[in-house]
Parts: sequence; C-alpha cells; structure tokens
Amino acid sequence: MPLLEVENLFAEFHIGVGTVQAVRGVSFTLDEGESLGIVGESGSGKSVTMLATTGLLPDYAEVAADKVLFDGRDVLKMTGKELRRLHGGEIGMVFQDPMTSLNPLYTIGNQLTEPLRLHKNLSRPEARARAKELLRLTNIPAPNSRLKQYPHEFSGGMRQRVMIAMAIACNPKLVIADEPTTALDVTIQAQILELLADLKRKLNTSVIMITHDLGVIASMCARILVMYGGIVCEQGTAHEIFHDPRHPYTWGLLNSIPRHLEGERRKLEPIPGTPPDMLQPPPGCPFAPRCRHRMPVCDRFEAPETVLSDTHRVSCHLMHANAPKGVRP
Amino acid sequence: MLRYILKRLIAGVLTVIVLITISFFLMHMMPGGPFSPSEQKNVPPELLARVAAKYGLDRPVGEQYIEYWKNLLRGDFGISYKKLDTTVNETIAYGFPISMRVGLVAVILSLVVGIPLGVIAAIRRAKLWDLSAMAFATIGISVPVFVISILLMYLFAGVLQWLPTYGLASWRHYILPVACLTFTPIAYIARQTRSSMLEALEQDYVRTARAKGLRESAVVLKHALKNAIMPVVMYLGPLVAELLTGSFVVEKLFSVPGIGRYFVQSINDRDYTMVLGITIFFGIFVIVCNLIADIVYALIDPRVKISE
Amino acid sequence: MNTRRNIPDAASYAALPKELFEPSSASQRDNELISRPSVTYWQDVWRRFRRDPLAVGGLFLILVLAIMAIVIPMVSPYTYSGMDLSSMNQGPTWRHPAGTDQMGRDQFIRILYGARISLSIGVVAAIINFLIGVVYGGVSGYLGGRADMIMMRIVDILISLPQLLYIVLIMLVLGSNMVSVIIALCFASWTRTARVVRSEVMRLKHSEYVLAARLSGAKGAHILRKHLIPNAMGPIIVSTAFLIPNAIFSEAFLSFLGIGIQAPMASWGTLANDAIPTLLSNPHMMLFPVLMICVTMFSFNFIGDGLRDALDPRLKR
Repeated sequence: MPLLEVENLFAEFHIGVGTVQAVRGVSFTLDEGESLGIVGESGSGKSVTMLATTGLLPDYAEVAADKVLFDGRDVLKMTGKELRRLHGGEIGMVFQDPMTSLNPLYTIGNQLTEPLRLHKNLSRPEARARAKELLRLTNIPAPNSRLKQYPHEFSGGMRQRVMIAMAIACNPKLVIADEPTTALDVTIQAQILELLADLKRKLNTSVIMITHDLGVIASMCARILVMYGGIVCEQGTAHEIFHDPRHPYTWGLLNSIPRHLEGERRKLEPIPGTPPDMLQPPPGCPFAPRCRHRMPVCDRFEAPETVLSDTHRVSCHLMHANAPKGVRP
Repeated sequence: MLRYILKRLIAGVLTVIVLITISFFLMHMMPGGPFSPSEQKNVPPELLARVAAKYGLDRPVGEQYIEYWKNLLRGDFGISYKKLDTTVNETIAYGFPISMRVGLVAVILSLVVGIPLGVIAAIRRAKLWDLSAMAFATIGISVPVFVISILLMYLFAGVLQWLPTYGLASWRHYILPVACLTFTPIAYIARQTRSSMLEALEQDYVRTARAKGLRESAVVLKHALKNAIMPVVMYLGPLVAELLTGSFVVEKLFSVPGIGRYFVQSINDRDYTMVLGITIFFGIFVIVCNLIADIVYALIDPRVKISE
Repeated sequence: MNTRRNIPDAASYAALPKELFEPSSASQRDNELISRPSVTYWQDVWRRFRRDPLAVGGLFLILVLAIMAIVIPMVSPYTYSGMDLSSMNQGPTWRHPAGTDQMGRDQFIRILYGARISLSIGVVAAIINFLIGVVYGGVSGYLGGRADMIMMRIVDILISLPQLLYIVLIMLVLGSNMVSVIIALCFASWTRTARVVRSEVMRLKHSEYVLAARLSGAKGAHILRKHLIPNAMGPIIVSTAFLIPNAIFSEAFLSFLGIGIQAPMASWGTLANDAIPTLLSNPHMMLFPVLMICVTMFSFNFIGDGLRDALDPRLKR
C-alpha cells in the first residue's frame, strides 16, 4: 500500500477580488521510503498541493479530491485532533525561510522539545535529551549551549538544520521539504541537501522535495513531478525526466539550466512569457501561451494523461495521433 | 541587559534635564510672573520678598538656574506663588497618592480588558465579536476623554442616578472616573492587539507551529500572542502619559482631589511655581514609567539587547 | 467549487479533427500578454479608498461641515454674539436648531463659528506639523550617522513627555488666543511624522533609483524632494491624516480646561466648557458641541483608516 495516494486534487483560495484556483486536478502516489521531487515555477501550485494534502491550508481555502489517503486514512475527512496528530507526529515539514520559520521569542530548546512532549509524551528531561540527540544528528555542534539560545543567534544554515531536526523529531513517516535551500547560500545548500539525503537513508523516511531548481532534484529524488499552472504536466523517474522528457515545459526547464560544457559557450535559454493568472485560468493547457509547439487544440482543451510506462506519464496534446510526430526539444 | 538599562537610564536623565531647563526658562518668559524683571513692579512686595528669598531673584539668571537645581536635588520643588503658605511638595504629597489609586486601577483594567478583547477579535475575525469589538474600539479612540466623561456622568449620575460624582469615598466612587479614563486606552489596546495578532498569525513561525501539530490554543497563546503583545508593551509608556493627561479632565469633573486637579487649578490661577514644580514631577514620573516599560520589553524580546 | 478538468472523454478526444493539431502561427503566440489592465498607483489607491464606506462617509461629512461652516454664517440672520434676551436657554427649535444659551445667543451659529475655529486650527496645525516632520525626518534619515542620531535623540526626548504637558506650558507663556494655540500644537505631533518619514527614507535610501540619481550628479536635497519623499508618501499621508483629529482634540482639551481659546471667541471645546454648570438643566448646550467634536474626529479617523488600508499594498485581500 502506498504511503500517500492523491487523486484529482483541487484547491482554491477565496480572496476579495475572486477565487484563485491554485491546484486543478493533481494525482500522484508515494511509496514508503521513496523520494519524490515536485518541480515548477512560483505559482505552479506545488506548495499548495502539499499543504492541501496534509490539511495545512488556512480557512479561506477550499479543498476537494477524489482521494487523499495518507497511510490508508482519508486526510480530508480527519478531525482537527487527528490532523494535529498527523502534523509533526507522522508528517514533518521543513519550510523555505529559516529566518522567519522559527519563533524569535523562544529558545531553540523550547521549540525543539514542543513536538516531542506533545506527540511522544516525553517528560521534560527526556525531551531535552532527545533534542540534543537531534541536534547532533543534524550536525549542529555544542548542542548543550545551543538549546538555550535564541533563533537570532544562529546562522541561516544552522537554523535550517534546526528546522530539519524539528521535522524529524518524532520519526515521521514522511518529510516534506518546501524549497528548503532557496533562501540559503550555495555552499550551505549543498550541505543541507546532503544532510537530508543522509537522514533519509538513516531513518528510512519518505521525502517529498518541492523546488524550482532541477539541480536540487537531480541529487535527491528518485521520481519527479513537473507542475505548471496548477496541474501535473509530466511525472516519471529521474532517469526518464532527465533523459526522455516529453512535455515542452520540461524541455524548457532542462534547457534553462545554466551549463558549462568543456569549451562550449551556450546562450542561456529562458522560457519566454509569464505564468498564467490563476484567478482566471485558461480553459486549455496552461502552458500553451508560452509553448513553442502550440496548437489550436491546446487553447481549447486540457490534455488527457498519456501513459508512457509504469512510471512515466505526460499530459500533452503532442501525444495525440493527429499531432505532428517526432517533435523534440 | 545591564548595559541596556543603563543606556535607557542615561537617556531618561538627559530628558529630565532638558525638561527642567526648558520649563525653567519658559517660566522666566511668562508675563505677569515674579520671574520676569519687567513685571516685578506689579507684584506685591511681600510676595516678591518671599519669592526672592527662595529663588534669588536679584541674581543673574544663570545663578537662579543653579539655585533651582540645588533645590530640586534636595527634593524641594518650590513654594506656591498664589497660596503663600503651601509648598509644592505638600501639594504633590497630598494629591499624588490619590491620583495613583485611580491610575493603577485604570492601568490594570486597560490591560486585563483590552488584550483579551483584541485576541478574541483576531481569532474570530470578521464575525460578530470582531465587528462589534472593533466598532467599540473605533468609538473609543475617536471620542476624547472629556466627551466620554460628560456622557457617562450625565447618563449614570445625572439621569439614572446610579453612581456618585463627587470624590472617592467608596469603591462606587471609583467606577465613573476609572471608566472614563480607561475608555480610550482599552479601545486602543484592543485594536492594537487585534491587528498585531492578525499579523502574527500570518507569520511563518505560526505555520511551523501548526505543522508541528500544536493545539490551536497553544499556537495562539504561546506563539502568536507573545509576539503580538510587543506593541502593547511599547504602548505602556504612552498609556501612562495618556492617563496622566486624562486625569486632568476626570479629576476636574468628578472633583477628585488628585494632583491632576491641582495642576489644572494652578494653571488657571497662574500659579507659576506650582505649575513648574508639578510639571517637572510629572515629567520624572512619566520617564520612570517609560523606563519600566522598556525593561519589560527587553525581558520579553531577547533580540532587543543585541540591536542596541 | 471547480472540481473537474476540461478534458474530453477518450472517444471525443480521439475524434478531434486534424486542423486542431496544426502548429499555431507565430502571431497567435501571446507570450507577454498581460491579462489584467494596469492602473497607476494613485488610481489604485483611490479605487480602494472608495470601497471603504466609512472612509467615504467621513470625507463626505467633513466636506459638508466645511461648506456649512463657511457659507451659513454668511447668509444667516443670526450673528455670533447677537443676543436675543427674549429667548434665553431655549432647547432646539426651528428658529434655533441648536437652542440658545443663557444670553440668548443662537447656538447653531456659534457652533458653526466654532467649526471654523476648530477645523482651521486642526488643519493648519496638522499641515505645519506635517511640514516640520517631513523636513526633519527626511533630513535626519538621509544624513544618517551622527547627525541622525542626535536628531533622533531630540525626538526621543520630546516624545517621552506627554505632549499636552508642554503645550500647556507654551500656552501659559504665549497667552490664550488662536495663534498661540496653533503654535503650541505645532510643538506636539510633528515628532510622530518625523519618525515615520525618517524610517521610510532610511528604507528607501538604498534603492537603485537613488543610486542612479546620485550617479547622475543630483544633490541630497534634490534627491530627497524628487525621489525619496514622493515614494514615502504612503505612510506619511496616513500619519498626517491622524494629525488633524489629534490637533482638534488637543485644542478642545485645552479649551475645556480653560486654557485654550477664550471668550468671546469660542471653539467647540470652549462651548463645552461653558456648558458644564448647566449640564443637567440644559443638556442641549453640552450635547451639540460635543457631538460636533465626536463626529469630526470620527470622520477624520475613518478617513485615516481608509487611507491606510488603501495605501497598504500587502492587503490585497
């Protein structure tokens, strides 16, 4: 049984000027111990997908789906109490900005022991001991003194380590990392990614990594979901996505990675255009306005999913029998 | 921490020095007073002799200034200009404790009522509680203290005759003065708490707290509130100042024999030395309260000591 | 809620005609299509301000009041101090909508004259405070360093004292008339504006357009005037909007305590003070001036709130 099953997920936000349709029909599964990467631009709906899946969206959001099962349980039907047990206890989250994700007025020790005392019912000394162990696991030196310090006394990289420590505190089955390295320096990025990979191996958790950076995905994730405009364009194993991509957006993403091949000087190729307005999403494929291979059908209908293999699927009208053949990036 | 307190203390002392200096020189500019040499011929000789003895009027201004300082440091605020046998010290000693009694109740009430009002309004945003609380708050902020005092006095003492209006004889006598004084502060605190709670609840660390599975009460009260309360703590200084000036009106209307009433009276009587003395006293008092507020702030927010 | 994707079923999809799969011509590509019409900053602000019924109501009330205060005394048969001893202490009637006082003076006219005084004191004091605050805060923020530190220390000192305290002292020195009230009020609230301006200037000082201006040879004052202050206008306007009710309140407060405007001129505060002795017997004499003060302060506060909400770019909700 897969750890996470999501089928036909929709999520909207009701704001003053209208309704933002952030997620419009996303489906995927995740097995135990697997690592999945969700890649897409800002506004593609990747973060909202995971927040909706775990029941962490605010009141003014509406979520609907055919199926959202975590460990066989229906997340959308859970009571507040059950959801709270899920959060921190079975699902750990690491957010993007370590500067603001920690409460500046409480010590690290206080914030770290919170989930431990809540979910595992540890006493205060037990929780402190475990907290120290967590700091050690995440390579933070001098854990004893660090526990008594406040967030502003930590560097950005160390704060992110603390966030990771908090996420794995109760040995969750799933860790979701939402742009964990975006706000950090490049050198620190590598350290954090290494830490995450290491922890995944040691604790055998499933990991979902959300990012806009394909480089980050390549090092960590076995499977990849490419999202754009609230839908999944393509999903497959890392090998399939990098070596046999089929969706024009995936081509665009791969093309826009800066690369230095020996002697070769290539122009940086960004994808022209801007992301769609999710207040009034287009009726057809959301990527069509920016797609080099746009066809009239692309403006009329969204593309159905084409199954290319057990693991590889793509939603693109280029897969239709009537479409031009042999189109490549 | 100690350095922080020290810095604040020095700033406070500096402020007091500036206040005393400005007040002193303002005194010397006032028309019709004993200090302006041109006016001295209009002052009755007995009074002039008395004041001259105390303040050394025949000496140059600089020396007078120093003389005034010497008196102050001895705790002597001077003598009344109009009531020849009263010293400023006596007046302060008599009136201040009375004002403090009302003031203390007012401060406590403001916090105890205002903060929860704001918190509840924030978590029940846009519902009935929020809308009515904020309507009340808008009224409270816009309506000046003397208007409120008059309205409440008219309603409760005049028409309904439920409450007394004169003096502080029983606990019942406290109700109207305190209510009038706290109307605006409660409104302001409720509003401020609400908006900083709303902002705090949007912050990333609240998202983290929820992602850790904390109960909503813990999220709101432990994580959000402590952050949201900072602007309220910063308001404690101005709160004291506001209660101070509010007391002028309230004590006048309800005949409370506190120091505020003496202050207003001495202004109307043109009792210059009394005005000067009480002003300086007020100034020192406000500065001390500001210092306390700063210390409380530093106790709550560990980042403050670093940024100073 | 939308829970269906716009995907045709398998049969219809397979049957879609070939024309739909021709590559679209280049002209059909709308890469840079901007989907929503753009509005200028101030148009947006006004649009959002308009949506706040309280703010618009406040604005309307103030305008009505101002017009009444200017026009009606010019056309009314009653004058400011004209006494009609046959109708003393009357309650509101058609001839005297706000009643008369103990000397037979028509209250309605006196209240409108009071409006002239209170409103003009409020606006003038607010404007002067605004100017002082903007210049002081702008210079302090721009200069930074030592100068800024000293200037802000001065502001800190002034702020830590209750402003009414030294207003009262200044009034004692200057005497009690309209000009001295305005002067006294000027010492009061410019500090708040100065702080706001200073923090905005410090925030914007490092923007690229400032750097560009400096590189093309612009001097400090010019940069301040043309670039920094206009861009900081949002918070500045909001804090200024609240200066007016603050000034009106301060003046009323002073007059109520007997320190402000003196007879025979009367602001609303003075009228209220005069009405204290007869509060129970002739409540209307207290009611109307007090009502006017409240309504005016309410209106300005609503306007200030509306401006603040309209100018805050974050509140897209």
